[in-house]
Amino acid sequence: MQVSADTTQSSHYITFDADICTGCANCIKACPTKAIRLYKDSPTCLTDNCIRCGECLRVCPTGAISTTTYELEALQKDKVSITLVSPVLYSQFKGVMPNDILLAVKKIGFHHAMDLSYYIEMFLYAAEEYIAENRITGQSPWPLISPVCPVVIRLIAYQFPNLLPHIIPIMRPISLLAKEARANISREYRIKKDAVILYHLTPCPAKMVPSRSSFAQENYLVDRTMGIKDVYAQIIGRLNQMKKSGIEALREESEPQKISGNCLLWGLSGGEIAGINSDKTLAVSGLRETITYLEKIELGLFKDIEYIEFRTCPEGCVGGALNAVDKYIAKNTILKMLRKFGLERLIPRDKVLLLYENGWGLSDTTQDELQRIFGVFREHISIEHLKEIEKILEQIQGKDCAACGAPDCRTFAEDVVMGKAVLNNCIMLRKREIDKIENK
Amino acid sequence: MTTFKKSFNIKKRDFVRAGEASINVQNILKSLNMDHKLIRRIAICGYECEMNVVMHGGDGILTVEIDTGKIMLDIEDNGDGIENIELAMQKGYSTATEEHREMGFGAGMGLPNMKVNSDMLSVESEKGKGTHVHMEFNVLTD
Repeated sequence: MQVSADTTQSSHYITFDADICTGCANCIKACPTKAIRLYKDSPTCLTDNCIRCGECLRVCPTGAISTTTYELEALQKDKVSITLVSPVLYSQFKGVMPNDILLAVKKIGFHHAMDLSYYIEMFLYAAEEYIAENRITGQSPWPLISPVCPVVIRLIAYQFPNLLPHIIPIMRPISLLAKEARANISREYRIKKDAVILYHLTPCPAKMVPSRSSFAQENYLVDRTMGIKDVYAQIIGRLNQMKKSGIEALREESEPQKISGNCLLWGLSGGEIAGINSDKTLAVSGLRETITYLEKIELGLFKDIEYIEFRTCPEGCVGGALNAVDKYIAKNTILKMLRKFGLERLIPRDKVLLLYENGWGLSDTTQDELQRIFGVFREHISIEHLKEIEKILEQIQGKDCAACGAPDCRTFAEDVVMGKAVLNNCIMLRKREIDKIENK
Repeated sequence: MTTFKKSFNIKKRDFVRAGEASINVQNILKSLNMDHKLIRRIAICGYECEMNVVMHGGDGILTVEIDTGKIMLDIEDNGDGIENIELAMQKGYSTATEEHREMGFGAGMGLPNMKVNSDMLSVESEKGKGTHVHMEFNVLTD
């Protein structure tokens, strides 16, 4: 586990352990934005190009790549620490009730552990209302795109800026909860708002640098983030303790929270659109599939669809790179729990619509801001460069082997032209030279 | 003068891979940091044309030519050809709405859509021999 030394989380998203890394190039090839190179001894991540999808973490066979996470010992220093729990956490413990899991999380050392159910329902109502409005006003182009997956937002700003107007401007459930929780707790404990420290326990690798959340005004709503797998062992420990001392008795001292089936379903691909009142929806999961769909939307397809839920992790958030349990086992746990919970809503629609009409939950981040924050700086390539790149490609006639340390021949050629790599690194070229000498 | 030129093959009736040439062109233009609205127009035109080739044409070639002031798309195929170009051009033209213009589909053969999204369009076709579509896009530099 990579632990940040001071009290703030590192702005470096991933770190490579050069001692464990075998240089297999799996991560280099897997990266959708081609942000990893291995020109020297250890791989480097071009932070500007990284969209924090976590694909590299997933494919690394030796575990040499890690994300930053928050040091738990620091908890005691916090005046009031609250952890906002991603519903995916409930999928990690088969047969354990959500409220018991929340209690175990709290026992690690938080003052409160909060569930997202209410805010997920609010989000769903608000999204529905936005879709219905859009049928009349046409203010946003079809298909509308869900703002929930932070990697998708980055991907769009980075590679598909034309599609920014498709993203619905509603704050994500976690941000809604963070805003409310901070205000409520500071009132309850009579302390300043910034004395409340908000943690987010999440399977999502994109959230590991909390200052770069989804929308601009959501920055800093959560102070620190922790990956589920980093505290999994502690939670299991507390759950075992709780079992020994009798969970029943403990339940009385806890503050049980109402948890809805919509919240459990949230972690699965399709869990969001299941709660949205429109027939013309799609749920797409997986990074490659997401990119393919975004490419097609950019070509003008899918105009007949009203809302698309994208999750770049396979199977949805249960496939998040920071989960402790396999995605299919987690999926089963959720579906079985759902039989108990049903899909009944906890809050009435009218109540949320009233809030919505007053602008509550709407994100005021403009598209320009989104692009400024996530639309990463791209180096300018000229037509001259492009011609040189093509020339090198012809010369190489490679097989995208990645032995040079770039993900493919094209990227390597680009780096050579921009002075970041040496042509001599190409083993295909060297092989051909050797062949020539041998044939003489 | 610096001109970059590259060609991509389009395969007959290959609906699964239809659009790939346009996406390739799009990626090249993106790496050049061009205005993304211009890129989208070019991609939509390329895609319309590519679909025509896949649906009606035979095998074809899409060629992109990039100049500092101009981008040109040439799509040639050896397919059915268009019997009456004027009719194909007019079919959707009269009914083309703002929405149609943005759309990649639904305006007949898509020629009107290409006309709207390109700065210059010319179509040469001979029945039974094939079609050559030439489009130009102006690059505004400030």
